[in-house]
Amino acid sequence: MSTEKLALTTNSDARKPAPAGGAHNALAADLTRLLGPRKVLSNLSERLNYRYDAIQFGATPLAVVLPESTGDVVAAVRAARAAGVPIVGRGAASGLSGGAAPTEPGLVISFTRMTRLTIHPERREAQAQAGVITLAVTEAARPHGLIYPPDPASFRTSTIGGNLAENAGGPMCFKYGVTGDYVRALSFVDADGEEHHVTRDAFDLAGLLIGSEGTLGLITEATLRLIPPAPHTRTLMAHFPEVGACAEAVSAAIAAGAVPSKLEFMDRACTNAVEDYLNLGLPRDAEAVLLVDTDGDDLDTVQGELQLVADACERAGGTVRRAATDAEGAALWRARRSVSPALGRIRPQRMNEDIVVPRSALPDVVREIRALGDASPFHLVQFGHIGDGNLHPNILFDPRKEDTHAVHDLAHDIALVAIRHGGVLSGEHGIGSMKRDFMTDAVDPATLKALWNVKRALDPHHALNPGKILPAEGVDR
Amino acid sequence: MNNDIPVQTLGGQGEVMAHAVDACVHCGFCLPACPTYALLGDEMDSPRGRIVLMKEVLEGGLPLMDAAPHLDRCLGCQACVTACPSGVPYGELITAFRGWSEPQRQRSPFDRAKRAAILKILPAPKVFSVAARLGQFAKPLAPVLPAALRSPLDLLPESVPAMQPSAKLTPARGQRRGRVAFLVGCAQQALTPNFNAATLRVLSRNGIEVVIPDGQGCCGAAALHTGARDEALKLVRANLNAFNPDDFDAILSNAAGCGAGLKEYPMVLHGEPDEARAQAFAAKVMDISEYLGALLQGGTLEPTLPASRPLKVAYHDACHLAHAQGVRAQPRDLLRAIPGVTVLEVPEGDLCCGSAGTYNLEQPELATQLGERKAKNILSTQPDLIASGNIGCHTQIQSHVRRQGDRAPVMHTIEILDLAYRGEL
Ligand SMILES: Cc1cc2nc3c(=O)[nH]c(=O)nc-3n(C[C@H](O)[C@H](O)[C@H](O)COP(=O)(O)OP(=O)(O)OC[C@H]3O[C@@H](n4cnc5c(N)ncnc54)[C@H](O)[C@@H]3O)c2cc1C
Ligand code: SF4
Ligand code: SF4
Repeated sequence: MSTEKLALTTNSDARKPAPAGGAHNALAADLTRLLGPRKVLSNLSERLNYRYDAIQFGATPLAVVLPESTGDVVAAVRAARAAGVPIVGRGAASGLSGGAAPTEPGLVISFTRMTRLTIHPERREAQAQAGVITLAVTEAARPHGLIYPPDPASFRTSTIGGNLAENAGGPMCFKYGVTGDYVRALSFVDADGEEHHVTRDAFDLAGLLIGSEGTLGLITEATLRLIPPAPHTRTLMAHFPEVGACAEAVSAAIAAGAVPSKLEFMDRACTNAVEDYLNLGLPRDAEAVLLVDTDGDDLDTVQGELQLVADACERAGGTVRRAATDAEGAALWRARRSVSPALGRIRPQRMNEDIVVPRSALPDVVREIRALGDASPFHLVQFGHIGDGNLHPNILFDPRKEDTHAVHDLAHDIALVAIRHGGVLSGEHGIGSMKRDFMTDAVDPATLKALWNVKRALDPHHALNPGKILPAEGVDR
Repeated sequence: MNNDIPVQTLGGQGEVMAHAVDACVHCGFCLPACPTYALLGDEMDSPRGRIVLMKEVLEGGLPLMDAAPHLDRCLGCQACVTACPSGVPYGELITAFRGWSEPQRQRSPFDRAKRAAILKILPAPKVFSVAARLGQFAKPLAPVLPAALRSPLDLLPESVPAMQPSAKLTPARGQRRGRVAFLVGCAQQALTPNFNAATLRVLSRNGIEVVIPDGQGCCGAAALHTGARDEALKLVRANLNAFNPDDFDAILSNAAGCGAGLKEYPMVLHGEPDEARAQAFAAKVMDISEYLGALLQGGTLEPTLPASRPLKVAYHDACHLAHAQGVRAQPRDLLRAIPGVTVLEVPEGDLCCGSAGTYNLEQPELATQLGERKAKNILSTQPDLIASGNIGCHTQIQSHVRRQGDRAPVMHTIEILDLAYRGEL
């Protein structure tokens, strides 16, 4: 890490730079001239607040632009390019892989004021600018009898731009798919400040932008697909004396024809953390707790599907509890929703992994990761969207008392377990800067080269979000 | 959040601040809850942004005056506390920070005079009453005055009622079932004396004896939240001396801001000799709706007479009830218990009305924008009556509802209950 960067990570003992207190750089002055003072932030107190996301602090930007139109984005990109500084797109900065945290001083374009949203019920579409908050789409669509299914746990905060850039998922994604499955078209501004509108045909350029974490273009607007909500939902919770049994039950239920709308798993450490926090009466001794929703148009089918899941759970040795009412269902889901705060109470910081493995490998993967955690000095918990094999092993630590390098090493070991079992590094949180180093383990050199070629084609001068996703080129690995 | 806050040199309040900063994982879940973020859409004017700014100032990496404009825009509404999944005590952080930073602030002589005047006038009901009357005369001048002077005038009601001192002891009617102490509050004694009168009647009616202990004064919240820590400490200690928690089943307040202030005493005195006393005191503090709500739950609340006609009541959650004290269900339950009353939910109900203590005086533009938005949201429910449990919200909402041309009465929850008991609703 460069000294400048070290100085800016908050736990470093390097001296912090003297505050500049104003726009004493040409870029900020240029942008203010072009866009006016309302849309440009240049004081240190302002810029300091655009250097982090939900996981990491990075370099303080030279200037921040809060565009209100695509025209503003174009102007900002051109100014940054003329100044020769990198450009980082930013939504709500709820990202969990350091994506929105700049690795070097440059321009941050924060989309929070681009919030135009139009619903076209006749086409079952929403037209959303990048800064629209995810939940707002469903809220606006609901009066028309429609919803927008992608539901990251951050849906009250995160933006559509950030969701697209990360290809965000959520508990519903087993049945309903992830963000990318709901994008019909998008508009973006490229590294030269040119505007593009792309759909999903020909070369699926939209698909390329989805999940590119701001490294290939800045998404300004998207056309999103809406669906009618399922009128009926049923919920159950099952617990198992062994993790493998839980994974088997899930596979068996799916094989039997159930397509649950939500399938969430919590391991024993996780359940106990929630129980310590809220005392919900969760089974503390169970090695795995499974939460399942089935939904659909026809109540009999919904209940039939839930029955398939219940049967599979019981056959695998699980104990099933069915929610009799919607309120009871909500109470069961409260356990899962409380995972974040419950973990926050144990240690101030956590490293949140986001691996995906084949469902068949889940029992082994969960056990191996548990063993790694037990052998380490850290508190490790696991939960995740088990239907997709998407696990979130979390390492809880206190950066003032514990060795952050050891945390990183443990995270790396966990990533290697996933890769060894045919898994990938990120289900939904992206690679960002956090998991960039692990890419060389996960992706073969020829493919990495192809990725680099794509990057060069769209961003030849490497101006967009440098230091993210792709490990430095030219290093022989 | 990692930090290098020099707790050793900051003392008890330093611990309070460092603890809050530690607990924040900068996830941003609080952003959509924040009224200033909703208006301004930038990170510095969001809870997460403010936490980072305070951290930087405390660590010495950012001059206080650079952060101040953004911190000053915080309403202290604590909507972020409700939204935070990690339980970050933001309210404690900002309060402690304001106390720590105020002595270092550079302020214009006009600003200083204004703040001193507010802090003198607010806690002294008699002075406030006189000031409010003087303000009445100044009202016609409002259009030509600067915003900082205009806004307090705008909020004054059309007429300032006469002061009504409350009896030191209000006996229980019928069999005595409880004994409580009551904090009479400051500004509201002058502006809306009926809040207290109604409170005493309703408690008495329910067999509760009410004592108004001598020597009590302002809760200190206004001083504390504007950073006048020394003044606040004087008021806090006076109240700790006036109220002996052992003598009462509960210590009641009918102003959300004051109740929240009283419940903050242990935090204010963290690390000081009186901390344990403050804890015993705070453990007994309840909002009036919390106390009556418990009677309702226990099935011992006296039933009211039905309303004379079906009434739609829009209930406004005061931030200091809903966010700071977590009291949401009880006032609604109490209103619903009156036959004929329907409680309406206000869209964007969690968003502050913009009153927030002295905010109206310090940030008139933002306060007005929020007031307008709140009034619009409330009126969209087409209520017959508007209820809230806080004097600040009351004046703000009344003023903006009237400005939007609506005459629906704005009342304290307890006034509605009182009317119902008397068969006048
Ligand atoms: C407690 C918690 C729970 C979470 N749960 C989930 C979950 O269930 N599922 C899930 O998928 N994620 C989850 N996340 C992660 C995060 O919320 C998502 O990745 C989200 O999509 C990020 O959106 P954002 O607006 O905050 O983007 P940011 O964090 O601001 O940015 C994310 C990335 O997108 C880029 N970017 C942002 N806007 C644009 C744009 N307009 N154009 C181009 N690039 C852009 C940034 O450069 C960055 O690389 C969670 C996060 C937290 C804190
Ligand atoms: S929600 Fe809580 S933890 Fe998250 S940024 Fe806000 S204060 Fe910090
Ligand atoms: S207290 Fe209110 S205004 Fe202040 S940061 Fe929290 S939500 Fe925003």
